[in-house]
Amino acid sequence: MAKVVVVTSGKGGVGKTTSCASIGTALALQGFRTVLIDFDVGLRNLDLVMGCERRVVYDLINVISGEAKLSQALIKDKRVDGLFMLPASQTRDKDALTQDGVEKVIEELKADFDYVICDSPAGIERGAMLAMYFADEAIVVSNPEVSSVRDSDRVIGLLDSKTRMAENGQSVPARLLVTRYDPERVELSEMMSVKDVAEILAIPVLGVIPESESVLKASNQGVPVVHDQQADAGIAYLDAVARFLGEDRPMRFITPERKGFLSRMFGGRR
Amino acid sequence: MKRLRSLFQRDNAASADVARERLMVMISQDRLQRNQPDFLPRLQKELIEVILRYTKSSQEDIQISYHSLPQQAQLELNVTWPSRS
Repeated sequence: MAKVVVVTSGKGGVGKTTSCASIGTALALQGFRTVLIDFDVGLRNLDLVMGCERRVVYDLINVISGEAKLSQALIKDKRVDGLFMLPASQTRDKDALTQDGVEKVIEELKADFDYVICDSPAGIERGAMLAMYFADEAIVVSNPEVSSVRDSDRVIGLLDSKTRMAENGQSVPARLLVTRYDPERVELSEMMSVKDVAEILAIPVLGVIPESESVLKASNQGVPVVHDQQADAGIAYLDAVARFLGEDRPMRFITPERKGFLSRMFGGRR
Repeated sequence: MKRLRSLFQRDNAASADVARERLMVMISQDRLQRNQPDFLPRLQKELIEVILRYTKSSQEDIQISYHSLPQQAQLELNVTWPSRS
């Protein structure tokens, strides 16, 4: 039975789309048929991060309104087998996104895939609510920063009250992915630790993605950062997905790297 | 080491702790409000108006708190005013 997973955060710019691209890619690398749906109608970006922006013909709204078949709108990833994405519409009004329409699309995808990953837009408007409504599981992305954590808490409240599972008296299991983590600043008490954030939000930690130049490089090139196995961020996403699949892996990159004198002087940051 | 650094970096020292404290206060308030009915602020305002009309209380003498219990919701109202001597 396919699982529907929402990647959400409340606040914008914390790394939902980046995380979505890497998590989906890693799941497909593990052999699971995976589809990513971009719910950010009007501001689509998942196609850019996945590097398939030039192959977008039809989008989610076209499928919902019956102008295109699902099979016509799905874009197959060029790098990994069994990975597909369904882009958001760039031009349409987001009122075209209906609950019935989204349900139909998700049900159809569930028949053909192991994982349906919903990339939520920022905020708590229609697109975000529909991205989470049909979820069986949630990944809450948060930066160790006050406004991001507060918004994440709000979103966790919505997962517990405004989803199909909540309406059936259950709650959507949510796990925390802390991104843009800087262990050196944490050690200097300039940044909240992952433990602080997890305690405040009271959900289990799925992973910690360190602040890394490789993330920008990856999105510049349209290659999910998880493909870069030289980069700590890429390794951290693989770890997070292994944990997502039930494996027990220790957290990496949460303590500062011990640098030698020379790299301290001349900088050796990746 | 940490302590030594904080001697020289007073300004930055422990700003993460400040963040954590502020968040904990903010989020516990948010969580309380999340479960409150939408009409509560209006109800509170109107209750205060009525009470002020009849008593010589000041606004601070009126305390209204909302409790959400498993089976029912509860509104607690505490009003004090100077008794006539």
